[in-house]
Amino acid sequence: MHLYEVLRRPLITEKATLLKEGNKYVFEVAKEATKPQIKEAVEKAFKVEVVKVNIITVSGKTKRMGRREVTSPSWKKAIVTLEPENKITFFEGV
Amino acid sequence: MKVTREKLENCQVSLNIEAEARELEKALDEAYHRLVSKVSIPGFRKGKTPRAILEQHLGKSTLLEEALERLIPQLYKQAIESEKIEPIAQPQIEVTQNEPLVFKAIVPLKPTVKLGDYHSIKLKAEPVEIGEGEIGAAIEQLRQQQAVLLPVDRPVQLGDFVTLSIEATIEGKPFLNHKDLLYQVDSNSTFPLPEFAQKLEGVKKNEERIFSLKVPADYSIKEFCGQECLFKTTISEIKEKQLPQLDDEFAQSCNYANLTQLREGITADLRAKAEQRSHLELRQKAIDAVVKVSEVDYPPILEDREIDSLLEDMARRFGYREVEDYLKRVSKTEEELREELRPVAKKRVINSLTLDKVAEEEKVEITSPEVDNKVEEILGDAKDKEKMRRFLALPQVRESIEQSLRSQKTMERLVQIISGNEKEETGSRLSGEA
Repeated sequence: MHLYEVLRRPLITEKATLLKEGNKYVFEVAKEATKPQIKEAVEKAFKVEVVKVNIITVSGKTKRMGRREVTSPSWKKAIVTLEPENKITFFEGV
Repeated sequence: MKVTREKLENCQVSLNIEAEARELEKALDEAYHRLVSKVSIPGFRKGKTPRAILEQHLGKSTLLEEALERLIPQLYKQAIESEKIEPIAQPQIEVTQNEPLVFKAIVPLKPTVKLGDYHSIKLKAEPVEIGEGEIGAAIEQLRQQQAVLLPVDRPVQLGDFVTLSIEATIEGKPFLNHKDLLYQVDSNSTFPLPEFAQKLEGVKKNEERIFSLKVPADYSIKEFCGQECLFKTTISEIKEKQLPQLDDEFAQSCNYANLTQLREGITADLRAKAEQRSHLELRQKAIDAVVKVSEVDYPPILEDREIDSLLEDMARRFGYREVEDYLKRVSKTEEELREELRPVAKKRVINSLTLDKVAEEEKVEITSPEVDNKVEEILGDAKDKEKMRRFLALPQVRESIEQSLRSQKTMERLVQIISGNEKEETGSRLSGEA
């Protein structure tokens, strides 16, 4: 898997904003990505030093679409801890 | 906050207000707090979005707008207090710069009126004279009103009233067709065509007469202009207008004892009317003269307000509820009409400001009983008395009555000053006319 395909998007949520204080940044990553791959991708993309990566597979939610029950796809969330003094600024949205 | 003031003409002051960074920051922060609980951004609960993210989402300008909405009035108020300005209306505000915030407020001030030496103006009412001719004309008019139509047995003469059947064609096309039309044979009449009346002269009763006339070149229906029109007329009745004899009997029918009294009564009537007219003229001249020697300075907003009320009046007078409907009717844009009304409005503003000042100067005051009297007077011939009374008891209605009484009284006072008999009691003439 190519490095560029690892990181999908940064997650900007209330919780993610709180985590920033501990120098942790949250991303949605590809389902197949591994911790070392994520580490490498973040280091290359943002020119920062990564201490560790935690990953969580967020399982999809089941929803009813009329009579059918539909499951939205599962995805992988990565919480990346950076070395102190390293920072990422996202230029997403406006 | 830094304020610089600059005096403009027309009783206006321009304030240049610069906000300090701290003030702006505080306002922005407040604006954020107001906005944050309203806006929902994915990933955040309402009210929990950090400011940086909110700014990214909405854009900085939205936040700034929200902040300025409160900050500007606040700063404006402070500026007015610190500069000790008394505005009479809302200012025009223009933001010139955002960081740091600088804005300009054009504040309308109280109009200033500098009265000239109006005590030295001397004007006289036009002397009233009633000529024989006017009296004669008035009596003649009365006679005309009481005239009766009597059938006569003779050919038609000019001035008669005839009952007429008429059939007219122009080159075979029907033009007119009336049966038993009451027609006044008047040589000046242009109906149906000029000189029609002359053609009828000398016709006997029940005689059919056929003649043709040329349609004039400026006739209202274009296609008939300049063509020959063929008339076929029959007269079924001839009536003569008979004026009543000028004698005591006629006088009695007009509610006078005899002819001499009728004459006197009419003369008195005419004199009273003429005197009233000349008095009104004198009033107008007086106020014009005072305006001429005085200097009036007022902010343009007063003029605009006057135009507003004029427009509304006009619309109402022509029976439209909304000004827009009236504009549609006369097919003019609002701006055009406003410009047309501007000179009138200007004059009215100046007149009323001057008059107010004169009232102040001359200490013209209206007491509560005077207003009460006026209210009774208005009530005098109203249908629904109780309802009217309640309406007239409203404070704002009473105030407007008081105002109009005051301006009338001031007018009278002014007329007295100017015509040179200042000692006369003010009240007497007023009550007669109000």
